[in-house]
Amino acid sequence: MATTASISISSDITESVPFSVNASMTMYQAGTTLDLEETTGLAQRTFSGNTTQVTLIDVSATAVTAAAGGHKVYIRNTGTDKTKGFKVFLADATDDIEEIGTLYGQDWMLMPWLATDANEDIMVQPSSSEKMTIEYAVFHQ
Amino acid sequence: MATTTATLSLSSDMLSSPISISASSTLMKAGVTEGLELIEMGRGTIAETDGSKTAEFGLPTALGEDKAAKLFLVNKATDPTYYIDIDLHDTNIGRLYAGDWMFIPWGMNDTASELVIEAEPSGATCPYEFVLLQEPQTLEAHS
Repeated sequence: MATTASISISSDITESVPFSVNASMTMYQAGTTLDLEETTGLAQRTFSGNTTQVTLIDVSATAVTAAAGGHKVYIRNTGTDKTKGFKVFLADATDDIEEIGTLYGQDWMLMPWLATDANEDIMVQPSSSEKMTIEYAVFHQ
Repeated sequence: MATTTATLSLSSDMLSSPISISASSTLMKAGVTEGLELIEMGRGTIAETDGSKTAEFGLPTALGEDKAAKLFLVNKATDPTYYIDIDLHDTNIGRLYAGDWMFIPWGMNDTASELVIEAEPSGATCPYEFVLLQEPQTLEAHS
């Protein structure tokens, strides 16, 4: 039951030295070479008339293990408008909330997720009250 | 305009209907359609004995507004038990185990945006590589 992810970044920021990086990973359970075995599947949420912060991924509803694992979270702003974005936030065990960054139109992210405490939810905040859609998936132990 | 593109291919056969995700984005400055202009990359090594360290891909000198920076970070260790703990200020994002990578937007807008890394468990040493793509930084005045 393998889950693999590959990234390719290319850039001509440095015109005289074109840049590219490629990396692949297989998602394993923490500290092992055993494949992750559970997923939320690919989900989608659409927001409209709302610019407040909302919980996108609730630890309690995701059935991740209580112990730290090799969990991974994928999130993508499916819109095409680069002027509108979703701020992405992460809470810690004491419910202290930190902003990670903003996903503008078509931007995506893939990150590890500790998720050892019920408070460690992932929140998003749309920048516009117009219709905005986000897709996401969690791959976990 | 500089063009920087980040593409993801993700597949999983956990479900009877396999998941296949393809995503690609041209990376722009915050809220506009102008490409990012600054790239920083490098390689480092962190050992468990180093304790927690503020990552060398540091915050810009001019804070206070959202940036559209993107960060790629990969743990190049080969021992599957070795991992890098990633903290956003004092909030633990998660663990990058050997071979794992992450790609995130990074607000870089205040001192609480700092990224802190730590190798674990006891005895671990983790080489890592990073690429930081960001907006131009304000140059410091000559002293």
